[in-house]
Amino acid sequence: MATTTATITLSSTDLLSDELSLNTTSTLTAAGNSTGLTLASGLSRKKTGNTTEYTLFAAADYTDDKAHKVYLKNISTTAAQYFEIQVAGVVVGRVYAGDWALFPWSADSTGTNCDIDITPSAADMTLEYMLFIDE
Amino acid sequence: MATTTAAITLTSADLLTDALSLSATNTLYKSGSTVGLDQTTGMARAFLTATTVVDIFPQLIEASIAFENKSSWVYICNKSEDETEFITVKICEQVIGKLYAQDFLWMPWSMRESANANNHHGDITVEPSVATGMAIEFTCINEGTEYPTENLATA
Repeated sequence: MATTTATITLSSTDLLSDELSLNTTSTLTAAGNSTGLTLASGLSRKKTGNTTEYTLFAAADYTDDKAHKVYLKNISTTAAQYFEIQVAGVVVGRVYAGDWALFPWSADSTGTNCDIDITPSAADMTLEYMLFIDE
Repeated sequence: MATTTAAITLTSADLLTDALSLSATNTLYKSGSTVGLDQTTGMARAFLTATTVVDIFPQLIEASIAFENKSSWVYICNKSEDETEFITVKICEQVIGKLYAQDFLWMPWSMRESANANNHHGDITVEPSVATGMAIEFTCINEGTEYPTENLATA
C-alpha cells in the first residue's frame, strides 16, 4: 500500500473582510476503505495540435465506480487560453492558463460512458495531468 | 481586485519508484484575464441527514446569460471520518465522482446547462451515502452571480 497525500491551500487577504486561509489534506485511498491507492498514470504532458476534442481518460479502461482522482493543470501562460473539461459530455468547467484542478472520477462505463474529454481553446496548448487509479 | 490563490501539493514516497512531490499554485482570475475573482458564496458547512440529492449552490442561477462559461471555482470536502461514507458529486445530474471521508475536490464550474438529451440545469449536487449524518464543507469563488428574483408565493 502506498501513501499519497493531497493538500490544498486556499488563501486571500482581500477577497473578504476576514482572511481566507484554508488548508485541507487528504490521503488518497480506495473506495470505502483506508487502503492507499497503488496505481497511477504518471505525471504526463499532452500538447494539443488543434482545437478538436480529445479523450484524456476513457472510462472503459478503468474499473467502474471507484475512487479515482484526476489532476489537471493548464501549462499555458496566455491568460485567454483554456481547456474545457467534460465528463460524459457534460461541461464541467474551464481551466485557464496556470489553473489546476483535482477531482474524483467514477469512471462509470455501465450507464453513461464517463470519459474525461478536453477541448483546448487554441492550437498548441499543453496540459499536464495525472490519474490516481483505484483498482 | 482581490488576490486569491489556490495551491496544491501531491506527495508520495512510495507510490512510484521515484518520489512524487508535485506543487502548483495559481491565482484565481476572471475568465481570460488577469483580474482577480472578487465574489464568493462564502465557506459553508452542512450536516446532511438524508440521502437526498442536494443542490449546494441554490443561490446561483446556473446557465445565466451573464455568467455562463465564466470563471467559477468550487471546493467541496467530505468531513466524515467513516471511511465507508461518501458523497456523490454531480453536475447536470451527471456523476463526476465520489468523495469519501476527508476527500476534497477543487474544480472549475462553467454553470452550463447540459447539451445532452437530459437537458438538465448545470447544478452541482451532492448525495450522501448514509442518512445518519454527514458533514460537508463547500464554497464557490467566482467572477459574478445572478441571484434568483424575489418569489413570495407559497403555492
